[in-house]
Amino acid sequence: MIKFDQVTKRYPGSYDALKNVSFSIEAGELVFVTGHSGAGKSTLLKLIAAIERPTSGTVLIANQNISKLKDSAIPYMRRKFGLVFQDHKLLYDRNCFDNVTLPLRINGLSGNEAKKRVRAALDKVNLLHKEKAMPISLSGGEQQRLAIARAVVSRPSILIADEPTGNLDASYAADIMAIFHAFHQVGVTVIIATHDALGMSLRQTRVLNLNHGVLTQVALSEPLNAPTEVFKL
Amino acid sequence: MNYWLNHHVQAIHLVLKRMQYNMLSTLMICTVIGVALCIPGLFYLGVDNLSKLTNHMQDETEISLFLKLDNSNDTVTEVGEALAKSTLIKHYRLVTKDEAWQQLKSKAETGSEANSPIAQLNKNPLPDAFFIQSKTSDPADLETLRSSLQEIPGVEQALLNTEWAKRLSLLLQIGKKVIFFIAALLALALLIIIGNTVRMQILTQKDEIEVSKLMGATSSFIRTPFLYAGIFYGLFGGLLAIAMITCVITIFNQSIAQISNLYNSDFSLTMLNYPMFFTILISAIFIGWLGSYFAVNRSIAGFKIN
Repeated sequence: MIKFDQVTKRYPGSYDALKNVSFSIEAGELVFVTGHSGAGKSTLLKLIAAIERPTSGTVLIANQNISKLKDSAIPYMRRKFGLVFQDHKLLYDRNCFDNVTLPLRINGLSGNEAKKRVRAALDKVNLLHKEKAMPISLSGGEQQRLAIARAVVSRPSILIADEPTGNLDASYAADIMAIFHAFHQVGVTVIIATHDALGMSLRQTRVLNLNHGVLTQVALSEPLNAPTEVFKL
Repeated sequence: MNYWLNHHVQAIHLVLKRMQYNMLSTLMICTVIGVALCIPGLFYLGVDNLSKLTNHMQDETEISLFLKLDNSNDTVTEVGEALAKSTLIKHYRLVTKDEAWQQLKSKAETGSEANSPIAQLNKNPLPDAFFIQSKTSDPADLETLRSSLQEIPGVEQALLNTEWAKRLSLLLQIGKKVIFFIAALLALALLIIIGNTVRMQILTQKDEIEVSKLMGATSSFIRTPFLYAGIFYGLFGGLLAIAMITCVITIFNQSIAQISNLYNSDFSLTMLNYPMFFTILISAIFIGWLGSYFAVNRSIAGFKIN
């Protein structure tokens, strides 16, 4: 599904954000990307989501080489992904429902089918009762759940989250992680960048650990303190 | 096809909603466009009407030949023969003093003032006259013809009465060129104003554009609403310009009708005709589209996701 081969990314006038990174992720996997801040986690995710192109090496997404993709093909590539950001990137000038509608509009879907899908997505993150609310009136955890609803509404095959729990306290963070696990269980490939250990609490998940742009460890994480309330969804 | 249609319907819907939301600024930009288009439109109509008036006069490149008052009928015939020989004359028409006198009297009787000086005249003050249509419309040839006619014995005065109309029409041609340049300059100004307005809108929609791009929106998806915004500004501005021009003409026509009445004429300014109507509307829409096209392409090209 996703294959990195000797990928280096250098930003102009800067150090190497990623150095010779090689790994592959199969369809349906749940993978964590860890490392200190500035280790290159975000860069890695941006390369996967075709937001950045590698300086050298090849990034293959669904057997397509990102570096060789035409600019006009990039948008269609991005539609395979659902993206969740630490700062949510919600649009505060419209209500929750309209926020979640946006990806469907981009995909050219509208009418009742779109409404049904938006409600289904909001329902999955327990926000159906807030569809008319403005995002600004939601709590941090609710905003992040809304962002997840928006990321999954167009049913992407890969869900990418950059520090989704970074600004949240432990119980909200557990909520969010539970939602990601739920999507993983229905076959979505989930890639989560995180610096806290809470996310890696469940079963056997793969971890890509980065240190100053170098992939230091590809390991299965040990089940740690599995919090019980995680499965309340 | 369905997708394409959907995309445009959604873009239009979005733009109209945004415009409604920013009613005041939308009204302002539309007024700016309306006024800017109104100015050359009014000038054009003014010049157009004047040139219609002078063209009408020019078609009658007529030389009036007034004979001396004391001429006998023989002299009139002789002059007529002389005119018939001339190769430069297309045709001529004789209005004898009696005919002219009858016409003048009947006009005075039907006129509102029954006691006008004409009705009180008891002797015919009018000369015999020939009205001559020349084959040429060249001013120099006409002048030669006029002076040769002046030489014919028994002729009191040969008048070339279209000279001033000709000069006016030349002036009007210059006027039309001036209008063209005014229109071009105003179009350029509008292009910049609309471009800047759309650029500001893009800035306020920065978040939405960024998020849309991250979710795989094509450039066309992002561009289309802004292009429609430009088109709608042009459309509403153009309609406003047409409404203003119509208002101005209607107001002026009331005064012009009064003046025309004094001159026994039914001249009035013509209203906007359909070609003019569509020219204003289409050029407004085109300017709107082009302005936003430049703005949006520049902005999207310089747009970086971070």
